[in-house]
Amino acid sequence: MTTGRLIIVMFLVFIVEGTLVPWFIPDSLAGRIIPHFTFILVMYTALYAGRHKALLLGLIFGLLQDVVYFGNLLGVHSFAMGLLGYLTGLLLDKKRVTMMSALSVIILACMAYESILYAVYRVFRFTRESYPHALMEHMVLSTFLQLGFALAIYVPVRRWMEKSGHPVRKPENEEE
Amino acid sequence: MIELFNLMRNKRLFVLMLGLILFIAALGFSLRDRQLSAPEKFVNDSVAYVQQWFYKPAGYIAGLFEDIGNIRSLQKENEQLRTTAAAYARDKIKYNVIEKSNESLEKALHFTERQRSLNDYEYLIAQVISISPDPYNPTIKIDLGSENGIKENMAVVSTDGLVGIVTKVSAFSSNVEPITSLDEKSPNSKSISVTVLGRENVSFGIIGTFDHDKGRFIMNRIPENDPMIVGDTVITSGLGRVFPRGLVVGTVETTPQAGDFGLTKVASVKPLADFNRLTEVFVVKMAETGEETP
Repeated sequence: MTTGRLIIVMFLVFIVEGTLVPWFIPDSLAGRIIPHFTFILVMYTALYAGRHKALLLGLIFGLLQDVVYFGNLLGVHSFAMGLLGYLTGLLLDKKRVTMMSALSVIILACMAYESILYAVYRVFRFTRESYPHALMEHMVLSTFLQLGFALAIYVPVRRWMEKSGHPVRKPENEEE
Repeated sequence: MIELFNLMRNKRLFVLMLGLILFIAALGFSLRDRQLSAPEKFVNDSVAYVQQWFYKPAGYIAGLFEDIGNIRSLQKENEQLRTTAAAYARDKIKYNVIEKSNESLEKALHFTERQRSLNDYEYLIAQVISISPDPYNPTIKIDLGSENGIKENMAVVSTDGLVGIVTKVSAFSSNVEPITSLDEKSPNSKSISVTVLGRENVSFGIIGTFDHDKGRFIMNRIPENDPMIVGDTVITSGLGRVFPRGLVVGTVETTPQAGDFGLTKVASVKPLADFNRLTEVFVVKMAETGEETP
């Protein structure tokens, strides 16, 4: 997949997670299940298309989310997405990742993402809830939604990324 | 110094540290109370333009299913509305007479232009275009901006009651912070001065915090001898001159109890407005008087 098309797809996913997804979440769970679908795409980029691409996309789309939904802090999502995309890529982008390991990595990354968000907002005193409470309140539930989305798009995204991913990955290997 | 050069050689770590420092600086910078810059406004408006094609149609489809489910309760609701309409027609006559006499009294007492236009509000209809996917920053975006006369700190209401406060304004869209994210301890805290419907001159309180565990507002600074009782409707008092007067916030749920060193009392208030699945909201625009708020 070329970077241009990836950016268009991610932008659409970004739009959808703010507009359509809230309508599908039942009323009783509103505010407890929160979609982070662009982050899932950043993770797939890190796993199958290289860490630098993931870093760049994470920074750009994190910043987009920060700016568009600017309430109090600017840069939280950009920081979390960029950092986690790069770290995941650093650990795994040269290995052959199976479906199970990809999904478990995504679960871990989602928890890490939520924890970074929690930590930053806690440090700047925008939330006062304790970590266990936040964990039970929305982190675990949101991760289930993210896992469902990751599972749903696994096959097409992997096929798509690996088709064009190979020629991009080779020069990176020589660089090391 | 040599250690620093060794660190420089490890380019990856160096860039990572630099990035970290930059982000912490950006976070601190964004905490300041400031207007949006031009690039931010541009991104906001272009994204809002795309978002508005998605949110409303989805709302219509979801609403259709809900309507089918509600078809049975319609008749009952219709009856209720008819009685309210009858009461309204009765009150309207009374209101017209009182408004006329009020106007002539204001003239007789030489009210200034600012005093007279204090209670003139304009309701601008806005469409919600998206909801923030962030648990700690539940921003709602609406499709009106500074071109439509929206300014910061304007109140946003739904048909049920007060929903939020406009925090950031772009040219064609603005961000609304729902009042469920009010917190007295947060750095950008805002508070709403409130009173009770029917006893506007007697009751007083300040809502500054929303308790997420219980889903209730905490109203404090209630005077010792306040006659507030459970079930009273809490409305904005307009005393701070930021919010207009008479917007419904919620209902009193507990009798005021001693708090804050025992000098004032604290009560919990149940919100009336539904903060999920908003489609249409109203931005309350206060009359322009040319002067800054006193």
